[in-house]
Amino acid sequence: MINDEYFLAALRLAAGSDPIPGHVSAAARDAFGLRVSQAVTAPPADCAAPRGVRGGDGPGMIRFVAAGLTFDLEVTVGDGLIDVAGQVFPHPGEGSHVDVRTPHLTLTRRLARSGQFAVTGLPPGWLSVVCHRPGFAPVQTRWVRIRP
Amino acid sequence: MHEPRDPAELLKAAAEDDHTAWDQLESRFGSRMWAVARACGLNEADAADAVQGAWLRLLENLHTIREPSGVGAWLATTTRREALLIIRKEPPGFPSFDVVHDPDPATAVLEADGRHLLWKSVSAMHEPCRTLLQLVATDMGSQQVAMRLGMPVGTVGPTRIRCLEKLRTLLSLQETVQ
Repeated sequence: MINDEYFLAALRLAAGSDPIPGHVSAAARDAFGLRVSQAVTAPPADCAAPRGVRGGDGPGMIRFVAAGLTFDLEVTVGDGLIDVAGQVFPHPGEGSHVDVRTPHLTLTRRLARSGQFAVTGLPPGWLSVVCHRPGFAPVQTRWVRIRP
Repeated sequence: MHEPRDPAELLKAAAEDDHTAWDQLESRFGSRMWAVARACGLNEADAADAVQGAWLRLLENLHTIREPSGVGAWLATTTRREALLIIRKEPPGFPSFDVVHDPDPATAVLEADGRHLLWKSVSAMHEPCRTLLQLVATDMGSQQVAMRLGMPVGTVGPTRIRCLEKLRTLLSLQETVQ
């Protein structure tokens, strides 16, 4: 029963018996470095392909839309690491690039003419993609949690 | 010594790129967010993800929190929602991870004031409730609690439920008096 659980959690908190681990606090503080000034945040949107993330039986698609841009991300988890094959459309223009970010690692990719990009070997956990385009505000996807 | 900055002020400063304000928000609310995630039944790794997720949602919403003074409640509620999504194993992009702006009353008991009142109320309870709840609060298992209190293991669970019920009644009486 959730109410009892909250009571007990409050008691544990008051007793200091389950303190927040240091690495969780440190990760929260470091997260501040992930903010993107003036960015527009793209929420998830419906797409025809199945949602989600798959393991060995093929990728799952997640779509985000904002500021006239659509991000389609095919996310695959294999061997404990994440691969992302994505497309931004319509093409955001010459000189655009994407940052594929996790709290611990950011990989930058120029966009192909088709708007496609790919990264491999990201650590599992929280993931977001930011599209930087000359002359316009960057667009970032909402953070999504990717775990095997 | 400086007065502690209030949450609304900290949120505004963080939105204006003040890293120390962000750190202070973490100092102020991190423990409570952890307790919320653990109260939902998550193990340490998943609780860490839920807490991290709530901070990332705050980053996404730094400029759009409707009630800046309620950012602590917002963080607790958002942690709970992220925790529930993890428990339900919702795929990424599931629509229900839309950010909510209304604080969840279930997390109010974890507010600092409520927590102190709670602990004070436990200390004022009769035995065996006082010791039982204090032991449970230190994550002591049923067997050890039974040994410490000299009661059969099978009665620890039902007694715990009765004691929590008494505590709930005590707290609602205090709210009525105030």
